[in-house]
Amino acid sequence: MATLLNVVLFLPLVGALVAAILPRGEGAQHKTWALGVSLVVFFASLGLWFGFDPSRGAPEFQFETSVPWISSLGIGYHVGLDGVALLLVMLTTALAPIVILSAWNAVQDRVKEFFIALLFLETAMIGTFAALDLVLFYVFYEAILIPMYLLIGVWGSANRVYATVKFFVYTFAASVLMLIAILYVWMNDGKSFDYVVARSALQVSPAVGALLFGAFALAFAVKVPMFPLHTWLPDAHTEAPTAGSVILAGVLLKMGTFGFFRYALPLFPEAALQYRGTIAAVATFGIAYGALMSFVQTDMKRLVAYSSVSHLGFVMLGMMAITAEGLTGSVYQMLNHGVSTGGLFLLVGMLYERRHTRLISDYGGLAKQVPWIATAFLVVTFSSIGLPGTNGFVGEFLILSGTWLSRLRSPGWYAAFGATGVVLGAVYMLVLVQKVFFGKITNPENRHLPDFSVREAFVITPVILLIVVMGLVPQPFLAQAKPSVDRLIARMQAAEQRMRQADPTLRPLVGTEPAAMAFARPPAVPAAAPEPPPAGADAPAHGSH
Amino acid sequence: MPPLLDNPAAAQSYLWAIILLPLAGALVNGLFGRRLGRGNVGLVGLAMVGGSFLLSCVAFAWVAGGTNLHFVGDWWFRVVDPGGRAPISVPWGLLVDRLSGTLLLIVTGVGFLIHLYSVGYMSHEDDAGYARFFTYLNLFIAAMLTLVMGDNLVLTFVGWEGVGLASYLLIGFWYTDDEKAYAGRKAFVTNRVGDFGFLLGLFAIYSIFGTAEFGQLAAKSLAVRPDWVLTSGVFAGWTLQGALTFATLGLFVGAAGKSAQIPLYVWLPDAMAGPTPVSALIHAATMVTAGVYLVARTNFLFVMAPASMAVVTFIGAATALFAAVIAFAQYDLKRVLAYSTVSQLGFMFIGVGSGAYAAGVYHLMTHAFFKACLFLGAGSVMHAMHDDLDIRNMGGLWKKMPSTARTFLVGTLAITGIVPLSGFFSKDAILAGALFSHNAAWPGVGKVAYALGTIAAAGTSFYMMRAFALAFAGKPRTGTAAHAHESDWTMTLPLWVLAFLSVVALVLGLPSWLVGHHYAELFHQFTNPVFGRAYKVLGIEEHSAIWPYAVAWVVALVPGWLGWQMYAGSMKGFPDRFVAAFPAFFRLVADKFRVDELYEFLFLGPIGRIAHGLWRAVDVFVIEGIFVNGVPKAVFAVGDVLRGWQNGNLQRYATVIAIGAAVVLWAVLGAGGN
Repeated sequence: MATLLNVVLFLPLVGALVAAILPRGEGAQHKTWALGVSLVVFFASLGLWFGFDPSRGAPEFQFETSVPWISSLGIGYHVGLDGVALLLVMLTTALAPIVILSAWNAVQDRVKEFFIALLFLETAMIGTFAALDLVLFYVFYEAILIPMYLLIGVWGSANRVYATVKFFVYTFAASVLMLIAILYVWMNDGKSFDYVVARSALQVSPAVGALLFGAFALAFAVKVPMFPLHTWLPDAHTEAPTAGSVILAGVLLKMGTFGFFRYALPLFPEAALQYRGTIAAVATFGIAYGALMSFVQTDMKRLVAYSSVSHLGFVMLGMMAITAEGLTGSVYQMLNHGVSTGGLFLLVGMLYERRHTRLISDYGGLAKQVPWIATAFLVVTFSSIGLPGTNGFVGEFLILSGTWLSRLRSPGWYAAFGATGVVLGAVYMLVLVQKVFFGKITNPENRHLPDFSVREAFVITPVILLIVVMGLVPQPFLAQAKPSVDRLIARMQAAEQRMRQADPTLRPLVGTEPAAMAFARPPAVPAAAPEPPPAGADAPAHGSH
Repeated sequence: MPPLLDNPAAAQSYLWAIILLPLAGALVNGLFGRRLGRGNVGLVGLAMVGGSFLLSCVAFAWVAGGTNLHFVGDWWFRVVDPGGRAPISVPWGLLVDRLSGTLLLIVTGVGFLIHLYSVGYMSHEDDAGYARFFTYLNLFIAAMLTLVMGDNLVLTFVGWEGVGLASYLLIGFWYTDDEKAYAGRKAFVTNRVGDFGFLLGLFAIYSIFGTAEFGQLAAKSLAVRPDWVLTSGVFAGWTLQGALTFATLGLFVGAAGKSAQIPLYVWLPDAMAGPTPVSALIHAATMVTAGVYLVARTNFLFVMAPASMAVVTFIGAATALFAAVIAFAQYDLKRVLAYSTVSQLGFMFIGVGSGAYAAGVYHLMTHAFFKACLFLGAGSVMHAMHDDLDIRNMGGLWKKMPSTARTFLVGTLAITGIVPLSGFFSKDAILAGALFSHNAAWPGVGKVAYALGTIAAAGTSFYMMRAFALAFAGKPRTGTAAHAHESDWTMTLPLWVLAFLSVVALVLGLPSWLVGHHYAELFHQFTNPVFGRAYKVLGIEEHSAIWPYAVAWVVALVPGWLGWQMYAGSMKGFPDRFVAAFPAFFRLVADKFRVDELYEFLFLGPIGRIAHGLWRAVDVFVIEGIFVNGVPKAVFAVGDVLRGWQNGNLQRYATVIAIGAAVVLWAVLGAGGN
């Protein structure tokens, strides 16, 4: 089984290398090859999905391979998947063929290089999620910048150079900080870069821990992106070709949130507990802020990009709640955002291919002309604003309820403020839908647009199916994430215990508040002798399940 | 099907079919509707709702026999924390008791009639539009049934948002008209504001009770006392009553959105942009009553939070009066009906707010019959008038459209509360219930609601008679009205059925002084298993005073007679003289008190400006301008200056050195010299 992960990880790279020797002139051959490779990778990754054991006793990391690489420095080739990494790998392998198919006609120029870049990118993304060695992680994490830089810089639109430089400088500068932090970790955990070793052996003072946490958090916060580090995202999205936008929104942003989940929180739990309130507050602010920004955009891609800031704010809020509900919702919302925002970019890309404009005002009344595109856009929109029955609802509901029930200080305020995003999301998305699809066609160029082609139907159908299936049957996905969530909570609880030894008056920090009713007590001076609260009033519902 | 009737377990396992049938209809018509042909589209739509109605009858038979049906579903989603607790556990569970059973019959029954009516009404649409209409309509039924039957608040919320979606799609059904598309969006967003409250209320209930399942909530609320102090979670330090007040007020914000109460009613009048069957089904008979249903469903929580009940009662009364006043000055027939819906919903909230639960739900039912009848009548008129809805252009339709006119009259008499139609008994039961209620938080609220409600009832009687007189009495005032003709049977049959139901529903609410105890207020007796405990907590006893009935009778008759006289009889000049005497006031009322403009001024405008301002100030200026691009620019600028000094020009270097040396020398020697 362990080899399967290596196959999934390196098959795209091998595909890219093979493509490198295929003749440049045969564009169709390159497309077919890339699509074939990505499909094989997807089907191989299904083996990971079904082979993963999410039960309580199963090992934390599965499909593990650990071989020394540069043993003198303690660097190893160590890969393996926990449930969260598995879900994100699946998201990557599922999106890759969709993205390749979507770029079929959009890319006319340097076709060979484009698809090589996409395949290379796929390996780097899977590697980022699979790596269990800090250096290996860093290598994959940074390796993504190269194809992404090229995708935007070579195949992007008018203002692409500015966008690429900004994208690169932002993320690179932040991850250099992380590199320094990684080196510092190496010096203090017995000279090993292995993640599992580092997690258990790291010995640093609280002050240093806070600094290291800050370095990791900053690097990941840029990637997420969290307010106020988000301004690279609208530019990168707007200038990127459709494929680039979908990958950026679908997978790359998750590397930031995944980084928090996998590295920043478990490596420095005390610091995380100390600063979670601040991060949650920033995330909550980002929810409303991103939504308000979306509200005033005139460019479709910029609007969707800002909506990502809002949605990723939800993900971060749920994570900082450090409750089972919040963390699970946070993980689920990572997938949901990948599916629904990826879907939005795919559809915007299709409109762009037809009209070569991203300006909302150039559209209007399209529903009459392209009813199926309009229908698909509406479905994805409702997923994005979290309508029950779609995937978005389950994620948002778990995040907000998990926040409400958490042990953040004044959790109600976080949840209530975050829930405004539910209202604002409906505002800007439905304004977009109305301006693009409803009303009369005023621009004569919109009068003869074709509806979905067969290829495009194949691109969007899986997205729609995922939206509905993940909305109605979320449990198989949540089950995969459960062991990782439980372990993270256990780790945070252990840190809380250590903090309590130093400060016995510490209030509870981690986990879900029990239902208040179980602890209800009569007031100090009861009028009459009240009955005591019934025992077991808090027993879980539906015990038969 | 016999096992369905013999064995409750079998009946339970079929409950999902009630929802899945219309959902399947929506899927079939949505995906293949264009190719099926319109006959088949209509057939699929009707058959699915019809099947749903039959199954609902079976379920109703069970609850009428005293057996509640509860389908204990599998988990939809559930998160178990490492300690084994799982507060967020949402099952696909369905519950049919006497409350939801009643709603089931209303939704599928009235829904079926309106589907039938739509076959004729929507026949002018092209094939794609026809299929789309039935898709949405079936989708709505499925969502509404989920709302009604869900056995927990989360599932209720699913249906809640689902009907919102269907409403959005149907209001904007003719989406090429930007105004209609806007009306749809307005409805959805306003409802989302309400849903914000619903969500907070739901979370609050989770943090108090650790469950959102109705059965468990009811059981747990039995075991607690309102003065207990909570010790954990968001409400640590609150009394249970305080926490429940928060939770129920949150739910009521949601209810005010869905059921168009002050301050969130503004979307409903605009929702009339949708096709008329939609106005009848969604925006009169069923969806908009969801808020009333929610309050009735969670009655065991509301009775522990008297402040919330007072708010519900007062908001209901204020809305009932406010909307009735606006209806006086409207000339669009559907708008008159829309404001009357808002007003009647207010009555229902007076009922469920003051503890007269059975009366509130009874009025929900009678209103569903007569208001659907009125709306469908308006649609029939609209067809005959070629989409002109201005009642000033009608007149004399009584002879042209006999079925429509006669059923519309029945509806009008029912809503005005003329004896012996059903509206009289349901409305009076509400007002009497409010009058005799005791609210611990605001003892006088019942009497205030009675006064406001009685004035609103008088207003209702007047404006409804005005609309009827202008549309149907006298002589045709336009050529279109003169050439109007009756609609075909698919449209008139539902009218007659609904008119019939508007009359016979009275048998469920006859007072005891009239028919004796055994047959008195049958609906009250019927729903007693659901509401009985709430009555006991509130200390409500049956009242049998006759005088409120007399007052109600006068209130219905006199303004109705006045309305008739002023618009069809001998006092014809009076309304015009009144308008001429108070032109500014009349315009204010006709403009709906300009509440939309007020909201624009208070909320929408400022939020848009804040968003734009934040974007320019924070994103573009501070982050982009100063930090992202400003810092590099500053670095370049500093570099430019420094580069100027290091340009390799030896003469300039020599000059600088010389000047520097001179300054140093001057500083050392000159300073020392002095």
